[in-house]
Amino acid sequence: MDRRTVLKGLAGASGLALTGGLSAPAIAQGAAARTLRFVPQANLANFDPIWGTQYVVRNAAAMVWDTLYGIDSSFQPQRQMVESEEVTDDGTTWTFKLRSGLKFHDGEPVLSKDVVASLSRWAARDPMGLMIKAIQQELTAVDDRTFKWVLKQPFPKLLFALGKNNAPVAFIMPERIAQTDPFKQISDYIGSGPLKFAKGEWVPGAKAVFEKFADYVPRQEKPSWLAGGKQVMIDRVEWVIMPDPATAAAALQNGEVDWWENPIADLVPVLKKNKNISVDIGDPLGNVGSFRMNFLYPPFNDVKARRAVLMAMSQEDYMRAIVGDDNSLWKPLPGYFTPDTPLYTEAGGDILKGKRDLDAAKKLLAESGYSGQPVTCLVAQDQPITKAQGDVTADLLKKLGMNVDFVATDWGTVGSRRAQKTPPGQGGWNMFHTWHAGADCVNPAPYTAIRANGDKAWFGWPTSAATEKEVTSWFEAKNLDEEKAAIARLNTAAINDVVYAPTGFFLSYTAWRKNVSGVAKGPVPLFWGVSKSA
Amino acid sequence: MLSYILRRMVATLPVMAIVALFVFSLLYIAPGDPAVVIAGDQASPEDVERIRQSLGLDRPFLIQFGSWVWRILHGDLGTSIFTNLPVSTMIGQRLGPTLSLMIVTLLLTIVVAVPLGVVAAWKAGSFIDRAIMGFAVFGFSLPVFVVGYMLAYIFALELEWLPVQGYTPMTEGLWPWLENLILPAIALGCVYIALVARITRAAMLEVLQQDYIRTAKAKGLGQGGILFIHALKNAAVPIVTVIGIGIALLIGGAVVTESVFAIPGLGRLTIDAILRRDYPVIQGIVLLFSFVYVLVNLMIDITYTLVDPRIRY
Repeated sequence: MDRRTVLKGLAGASGLALTGGLSAPAIAQGAAARTLRFVPQANLANFDPIWGTQYVVRNAAAMVWDTLYGIDSSFQPQRQMVESEEVTDDGTTWTFKLRSGLKFHDGEPVLSKDVVASLSRWAARDPMGLMIKAIQQELTAVDDRTFKWVLKQPFPKLLFALGKNNAPVAFIMPERIAQTDPFKQISDYIGSGPLKFAKGEWVPGAKAVFEKFADYVPRQEKPSWLAGGKQVMIDRVEWVIMPDPATAAAALQNGEVDWWENPIADLVPVLKKNKNISVDIGDPLGNVGSFRMNFLYPPFNDVKARRAVLMAMSQEDYMRAIVGDDNSLWKPLPGYFTPDTPLYTEAGGDILKGKRDLDAAKKLLAESGYSGQPVTCLVAQDQPITKAQGDVTADLLKKLGMNVDFVATDWGTVGSRRAQKTPPGQGGWNMFHTWHAGADCVNPAPYTAIRANGDKAWFGWPTSAATEKEVTSWFEAKNLDEEKAAIARLNTAAINDVVYAPTGFFLSYTAWRKNVSGVAKGPVPLFWGVSKSA
Repeated sequence: MLSYILRRMVATLPVMAIVALFVFSLLYIAPGDPAVVIAGDQASPEDVERIRQSLGLDRPFLIQFGSWVWRILHGDLGTSIFTNLPVSTMIGQRLGPTLSLMIVTLLLTIVVAVPLGVVAAWKAGSFIDRAIMGFAVFGFSLPVFVVGYMLAYIFALELEWLPVQGYTPMTEGLWPWLENLILPAIALGCVYIALVARITRAAMLEVLQQDYIRTAKAKGLGQGGILFIHALKNAAVPIVTVIGIGIALLIGGAVVTESVFAIPGLGRLTIDAILRRDYPVIQGIVLLFSFVYVLVNLMIDITYTLVDPRIRY
């Protein structure tokens, strides 16, 4: 008899006395094996994937709501809820037919009117959706299973837009839910996907539960990312929110959870040593580290100052600060697009390659007219990635002879302060750090950070006519070769004007117990195809 | 006594009002914007503004404060900006784990710290006294999270006696409830045990020098009776005071402990709400904590009358 048994016995005896015999029902091994306990990257604080665009919301929503198309691992949109589509020769009228037998979680059939309402809500919030909306003539339901989208001009990337996995995703909801103002949160979570959201068991910040939807009709093709047959092999997925990585690591080792989405690099060696745990790269598209400079105010309103920083920075320093000594977790990135994806290019990226030239960078900075004014650098300390990058940047700027005003704060404050266009000394800023999911950097469609249309651009408000011209070229490209050529020119232009500073490409691991099988790599944790033995 | 309690309850109202105004003002001027967090990185400034409008965050301070106070007066703590759930529901979901953790910690503290303090006073100057006070210094010095990680490593990972994390409600059985709370309660209780043990020792030392203790010894009373019946009761007022004040320590410590042991309690809810700028939740929790603190102080004052009949209100 071990100590735990003795403790259990003692507590059990006192428990009987105190509670009159309250006891836990024994959970059958089979039931435990049909429940997958998953530690997500963050707390599921809301569950409206159009209203809130955080990745964790997108990941949960991908289980609950299905899409018309799904992007597969070769970045091609594949039919998902759609059975067929037709487009007129001039590319302006698309007619789609839904698969038969599609049902919502309340048992109601998925109809064209639901799709029309869902796409309308999505298009009001998504950058690609807004582009489509701007050229939309009409979006109508023809019959229960057919709907038509008429545009004023062709939009070659329409199917990509409908299937892309970047938030907000074009999820299909019942009409009554999709008619909610896109700027207000839904409170009804009836879905169209392979798992149902158990709203009654949701404890934000602690737990979210998803149950298998028995009436879901999966496609027959092999699953590939958000495309293909979404065959769910488990009855229940429990998201267990764990803010502390050390606790998550211990819980995984102890068998209290089955899968941890993104263990931090420091704890991976411990997990790798455990014979019951598998560790592998989770999202092959990884992340692109970045810091952005404010184009509105000196010194970074001068391209020479921005280039000086690019010339001096060492991506290896940034990456080692983020991932440590594991060389398999990072790559230099002399450009802006995700490595190992079809449009990846290093064109124009020489300034980021080779030995760093601090003297030349100092000379260039002096030419920009920099004269020692404070450089306000926002660094969120509660995000390990931004903290690591901020420390490296502070060191870099000091080496360049810059006067650094290092603002150590939290991510919530950075989030609101970076939107300020006032001068740095009056609540504004010169630099802030962030990172982008590699899935958002595969092409310009979801890549807000690469846009350089001044006032309408992302924080820092870069202006680069050459960059914008090539973004348009990519949208108009008719084949992959044209797309590649446009992206090469875009990369060159963006680096010349330093739209932002890429600090490198980094990956992260995912870890799961060996009694779990079918964990697939992808930009989203994929729960279909995953099974668990006792 | 009843009129005293009523007077104290009424006196709570201005305290709560000041706390409410203070918290609301602080959050209003604090940097950060929940609309930015909600809108995400892809959002345009116009999108952020529309979300801000839909949440009513663009309204002037006095109107926001007035409508919040009006809701509070109607027993409505508001709705979370992020989860769209009533704040009272969210607090209700989290109250059980925090209350359980605090009760177990409190019981553990009283059961361990008071006897330790009594024994230390009884054996003042001896090795036992020095050992107990050494333990107290140790308990004071170690941060909660360090103790938590050490306990989890030893008792959960190495010995596999107890779980690493989580919380199970008591309705699912006493042992499942207790096994999740043992390690967190020890971690959280370390500082508290040290504090109460030291105060107990000091209070007992003073009482043990009184004439009536000498008389009791002269009459041949047993050591246990002298220490725990006669001396401890007379030393109880400062001990009860410290135990009460310590509840504030527990609330603070629960924030860290709940994170380390992944207990879904009010401490974690507080941190999450602050990081996201979920104003209605922060305001609701602070009000609740303030009310609990005021209530605990009242209970301490009432307890004085039980341990010392000379005290009357």
